[in-house]
Amino acid sequence: MADEDDFERPRWKVWLLNRFVLTPVILLVIALGWDLYASMNNDGLIVGRVVDAQGNPVADADVSLWIFNFTTFNENKHVTSGPDGVFTITGNPSHNVQVTAQKPGLGASPRVPIRLYFRSQNVTLKEPLVLPGA
Amino acid sequence: MRRYPRWPIHLALILTSFVMLVPFYWVFKTSISGENIFNYPPSIIPRNPNLFYYVDVWYAIPFARYFLNSVIVTVLTIAANIVLNAMAGYALTRGFRGKTFILMLFLSCMMVPFQATIIPAYLITAKLGLLDSYLGLALPQFSTIICIFVFKASFDAIPASLIDAAKVDGLSEWRIIWTIMMPLAKSAMATNVILSFIWSWNNFLWPLIMTRSPEMQTLPLGLSRFLSYQEDTTGALYAFCIMVLAPGILLFLLAQKEFIQGLTSGATKG
Repeated sequence: MADEDDFERPRWKVWLLNRFVLTPVILLVIALGWDLYASMNNDGLIVGRVVDAQGNPVADADVSLWIFNFTTFNENKHVTSGPDGVFTITGNPSHNVQVTAQKPGLGASPRVPIRLYFRSQNVTLKEPLVLPGA
Repeated sequence: MRRYPRWPIHLALILTSFVMLVPFYWVFKTSISGENIFNYPPSIIPRNPNLFYYVDVWYAIPFARYFLNSVIVTVLTIAANIVLNAMAGYALTRGFRGKTFILMLFLSCMMVPFQATIIPAYLITAKLGLLDSYLGLALPQFSTIICIFVFKASFDAIPASLIDAAKVDGLSEWRIIWTIMMPLAKSAMATNVILSFIWSWNNFLWPLIMTRSPEMQTLPLGLSRFLSYQEDTTGALYAFCIMVLAPGILLFLLAQKEFIQGLTSGATKG
């Protein structure tokens, strides 16, 4: 039946509009779209907030970035939180990292694992890093 | 005529499908949950499904390079299989002296496993200077006897009068194959494509022996390499398996109608 229809359709339609061509083209478009999205969002930014046990922002906390290396996480960068407790890590090179914050007198937060869909993906942490207090 | 109930057949088919599909589901489920296979009780529905194991695989090894190598080798294999098997299949539909001997030779060669011929295959490839090259990777699979017989069965089903008419019109044997026989043997072609794809895509032993540089390795070798340097492999390993399997499954789903036709065409012909 399909072959009978083929005689009535223009040749280019027969060659191009079939599942063997359309499926790879759709997959290619999805891959290109994903690559485009990744290239526009791969500055390696990790933005988050440090708070104390009561939820108040903590300034001048030392925030560390740990990067997964085969079997272990290695410490990679340090930044300091601002007056509003917000920190921004730039240049994260990995897709599997952890962040932690600490401040003398307020203790250290647990390490928060961050899994990303591509290397250096920009991300804003939904939950703040909580320092337990003295 | 008495009609038998159909539900027992459907029940048997459903049970068989279930048994066949459960391992695939289990691999997929583990690839998105990372759940250890020895967990008891096992969970049927994945807990906290995510795609991060696929990301791990992508960055743990040069997946794109291995994928490209596999694609190039497979495309070479498929193209050569279509051309060479069609020519051989067409020749076997014609009458010539020693045809029975050739058929017997082909059938007997099917009994010899590739492992038994791997040393001569290696030496020939080395003499040709094709070690560690795409052509060398694809060369031993350029023609397969099963696929020659698939083409032969399909060509046998085409009336001889059609070929005679083409000859009267002055077509050469070469043009008869490509302009008369091949358009009528689409299902045999699809079978050739799928079988040569699967054999080339999953080939492990030959690429293991003849590749020297990591840049020339294919996906099955990448899988073994991945296993050798990842410790916590459960989720990532299964994700890798899905990434290797997906192109083959996709191709089969796309061409399953032609594939089934190709396997059964000529089945009723002596």
